Amino acid sequence: MVRQDKDGIAWPAPDKRRAIGKDTKRIDGPVKVTGAARYSHDVRLPGMVYARFVTCTMPKAEVELDFEAALAVPGVVHAKRTCGDTTLYLGEPIAVVAAETPEAAAEGARAVVVKLTELGWVLDSKQALADGAPEVSRRGNIGRERTKSEGDVDAGFAASDKIIEVAYTLPTQHHSCLETHGMVVDFRGGDSAVIHGSVQGTFAMLDGPPETLGLDMSMVEGDVQHMGGGFGSKFGVGIEGRVACELSKELERPVHLMMDRETEFLASGNRSGNEVTFKAGVSKDGVVQAIVSDSNKLGGLSGGSYADQPFVYSVANFSSTTRSVYTNLDGNRAFRAPGYPQASFGMEGIMDELAYSIGMDPVEMRLANIPKDEWNGVWRKQLRRVADEIGWNEHPHKGTPGPHSIEDGNEYVEGIGFGLSVWGGGGYPTCEVECRVDPGGSLTVSVGTQDLGTGSRTLVAMVAADEFGLEVGQVTARIGNTKYGRANMSGGSTTTACMTPAVKDATFKMRARLLELVASNTGKDAAKLSFGDGGAVVGDGLNIPWMDVCSLAGASGVTTHGEFRKELQASGAHGAQAARVRVDLVTGEVKVLNMICMQDMGLAMNPMAVRSQIQGAMVQSVSYALFEERLVDVDLGIALNPNFESYRLANVHSIPEMTVIIDEEDDRGVIGVGEPPAIPGIGAIAGAIHNACGVRVRDMPLSSSKILMGLEELRNA
Amino acid sequence: MKDFEYIQPETLEAAATMLGDQDQRDWLGAKTRAFGGGQDLLGEMKEGLEEPERLVNLKWIEGLAGLSELGSGNVQLGATTKLRDLETEFDGGPLAAISEAAKTIASPQVRTNATLAGNLCQRPRCLYYRRPEAVCFKKGGDECYAYGGNNKYNAILGGGPSFIVHPSDLAPALIALDATIEYQNAGGTTEIDLEAFYTLPSEGDVTRENILAPGDVVTAIRTGLESPGEWRSTYVKFQERDGFDFALAAVALSLRVVGGQITEARLVLGGVAPRPWRCHDAEKLLVGSMNAADLEKRTAAAVEAALLGAEPLEHNAYKVPLTKGLIGRAVRQLARS
Repeated sequence: MVRQDKDGIAWPAPDKRRAIGKDTKRIDGPVKVTGAARYSHDVRLPGMVYARFVTCTMPKAEVELDFEAALAVPGVVHAKRTCGDTTLYLGEPIAVVAAETPEAAAEGARAVVVKLTELGWVLDSKQALADGAPEVSRRGNIGRERTKSEGDVDAGFAASDKIIEVAYTLPTQHHSCLETHGMVVDFRGGDSAVIHGSVQGTFAMLDGPPETLGLDMSMVEGDVQHMGGGFGSKFGVGIEGRVACELSKELERPVHLMMDRETEFLASGNRSGNEVTFKAGVSKDGVVQAIVSDSNKLGGLSGGSYADQPFVYSVANFSSTTRSVYTNLDGNRAFRAPGYPQASFGMEGIMDELAYSIGMDPVEMRLANIPKDEWNGVWRKQLRRVADEIGWNEHPHKGTPGPHSIEDGNEYVEGIGFGLSVWGGGGYPTCEVECRVDPGGSLTVSVGTQDLGTGSRTLVAMVAADEFGLEVGQVTARIGNTKYGRANMSGGSTTTACMTPAVKDATFKMRARLLELVASNTGKDAAKLSFGDGGAVVGDGLNIPWMDVCSLAGASGVTTHGEFRKELQASGAHGAQAARVRVDLVTGEVKVLNMICMQDMGLAMNPMAVRSQIQGAMVQSVSYALFEERLVDVDLGIALNPNFESYRLANVHSIPEMTVIIDEEDDRGVIGVGEPPAIPGIGAIAGAIHNACGVRVRDMPLSSSKILMGLEELRNA
Repeated sequence: MKDFEYIQPETLEAAATMLGDQDQRDWLGAKTRAFGGGQDLLGEMKEGLEEPERLVNLKWIEGLAGLSELGSGNVQLGATTKLRDLETEFDGGPLAAISEAAKTIASPQVRTNATLAGNLCQRPRCLYYRRPEAVCFKKGGDECYAYGGNNKYNAILGGGPSFIVHPSDLAPALIALDATIEYQNAGGTTEIDLEAFYTLPSEGDVTRENILAPGDVVTAIRTGLESPGEWRSTYVKFQERDGFDFALAAVALSLRVVGGQITEARLVLGGVAPRPWRCHDAEKLLVGSMNAADLEKRTAAAVEAALLGAEPLEHNAYKVPLTKGLIGRAVRQLARS
């Protein structure tokens, strides 16, 4: 189905698509792989100084600073305090040192004499909730409690044949962006400045910096041509942006302030941890009768995120309570579907645990609890499909786990698990796109949208190219600068659905303008003309090449503007994932062998980018499920692993074979797909481990050590 | 990282003189350090754990790198031999444990720079040791923070007062091959068993893991198996993350097999004790017939003997079944080979 509005604007029908809907390589791929792409980190300017933070080594302290020795380090030009009299969290940046070289800045930062007077602190929920616990801040240690409920849980439990009570915990996960947070501020005195920021919202660079620099907003330009990932952690300019502007203003020199990796780990946000208890009951037919869940959201100084239960599935009687428990740790930030993976881990766990408690196939169990009013039967279809693809039908043990001891010399066992996801992903009016055709034949499309690494720049070119029958490479896509039309930040998987309709609108208008120009110059009827291959205008006996069409634009060219067109997008993404794991019964090691993801997203603009996005989400799920965990010694009050050695990320050996199935029956408009595939993987992996060997690990990460201890427990039972 | 002087002597004598010629009674005060691949030392300097003023590069010294046959089938390995050069050299032969261990270390980039002596003398990876704010026994302090803290990665054998584990993969492998280590200082050359080179925190200087003094330069390692042709060896390492990780536990095993009989065995554990951990009792139990059922029975007894003295801390009890399992795997592997 091709949807049109009154102006006739619509995505081309499948047989008319040239770039849209086809695998399209990124137009900025070559500059990225050759290293020519300039990230904020790479910006080097004449007279630039490098700045480095000093971080607080206590969770909460009164801070006294002496900069004399730091300022005496050769090359150091400036040093200043960046915190108040007291700090609030472990790793808070307390001072900054600026120097002529990065090495001098680092040495200067080490030379700052820091005197800390320890103040009372708490680092985990046990400490935070203890009687007489020190207060994290004036608002206390517990946030407002919220309960969402429906039905009658007591009646639900009464109708249950099996009732389980379990607790799940999830650790704090770091975003681990390849490029750390930071900005390069190009201000040398005068009345204007340019800011290069590693941010996931171009226009965020106008929120704060102009005031800090004391400049008119119109005189500040923000630029982000390439950025090394954000995942939700880079919406604002942060303390790093504010301090970079302050230094630049005070020194009247360009300032390069990118966080070092340790500061990045300690002070740039994270995915909140969670502690959840569940009581859940199921009747013999596999219908979940009642769920009561109670969750502490552990977001440090921030509130944490956790989606309400029951997540995705429909349960007639439920009560879902959440509260924030504050600690003296860096506040959580948005992170690829905030709160959803955490909720999914618990809910998929409950589905599995209840299924096994009644000896039911966990796929059938899920089918019995998918909402009756689900859109278009989509989850049922997706779940069955991923189950087929992963080999569930042939799998030898469905409602009971595999062996926990070595039998017949088999040291390895395999298991399969499942998860479902839901997300919005629609657009809204925000992007303003300019399309310009020059008489020399260049087609330029500009919008301020940033490319978070997901391929937005390429989408701009693809949509424009399709409108005129041009090659993607013939379009100049300009993005990532505040000089271009306004745009939203990349959050909530909204970029594609906000931006591509506006690009389509601008180019659609340009097409009409050019056809009118041709018609008026040839005396033909514009309604009978269209763009054929290569940008040629054809119809009514004409075949005018693209260059000749453009020459009609005159010296000043033709410019059109596009805005959001809601008919071109939709909202509501659904997905299902299946994971097959192999457990080593000798070591407890888990290898995720393969993962299948089926996902809908309306019109998949660039299937290659979509697959890449979804594979990235599955890799992130493997990493989160098996390895990632922020370690803090809650007695000493120190961070233990703010580095990539002991904060383990999945590496190439850990990455499974991944299959992405794009739900091609979905004929809606574009929907963002960044977040949904990051939701169900961890629950699917946990379920697969249990299915393989009977060990149910309820606290992530699902480390080999926990699985081995679980196996020992089963063997000794 | 603090500025430092980088010196490139061309002879061992010059290097030993520079390293010996300093006012350093103990390691904590040593300001001149030997520099090989820098894969551990540079990290320590960046983390602020070490602040030497002079680095003496050993890589320009002729004759310090490289492999040579010792006639009988044993080999001599130069101190600055790159790990990369050990990765496949011994595959399938009696000294296979060396290559099997080398392959598991860090990444190809690291192995291209890292040297053998650097690997043998590397410092602990304990989470607390690596944090400058935790001044533990290893750094001249008077506490082991891991003991009562996060000790998932720490020792189950031989711990106390410090509970670090020795991180080297090559050390257990080479001890299983009865290797010696040779080092030189202004006073001359010494060669001792590699096994005797390592110290427990309760024995020697608690801030160190071996007997080297600041002026000593490791020069060579030599395997010392009797009739190497009769031996087979393996190294089985388990990492929490497969690739670029240190061992949670590792097993180096060598067996001398003559006429279907195991006549001698050497079993050395890595990742579970502050030094490579030799299991003499278990070795004796492994001696006997290669008959599968019989060997399986003796192996079961040997794994119990090997871990008999294990005293897990709060978070590392998993290392006991893990290590037992790895020993069994190593025996099965060698029985098949």
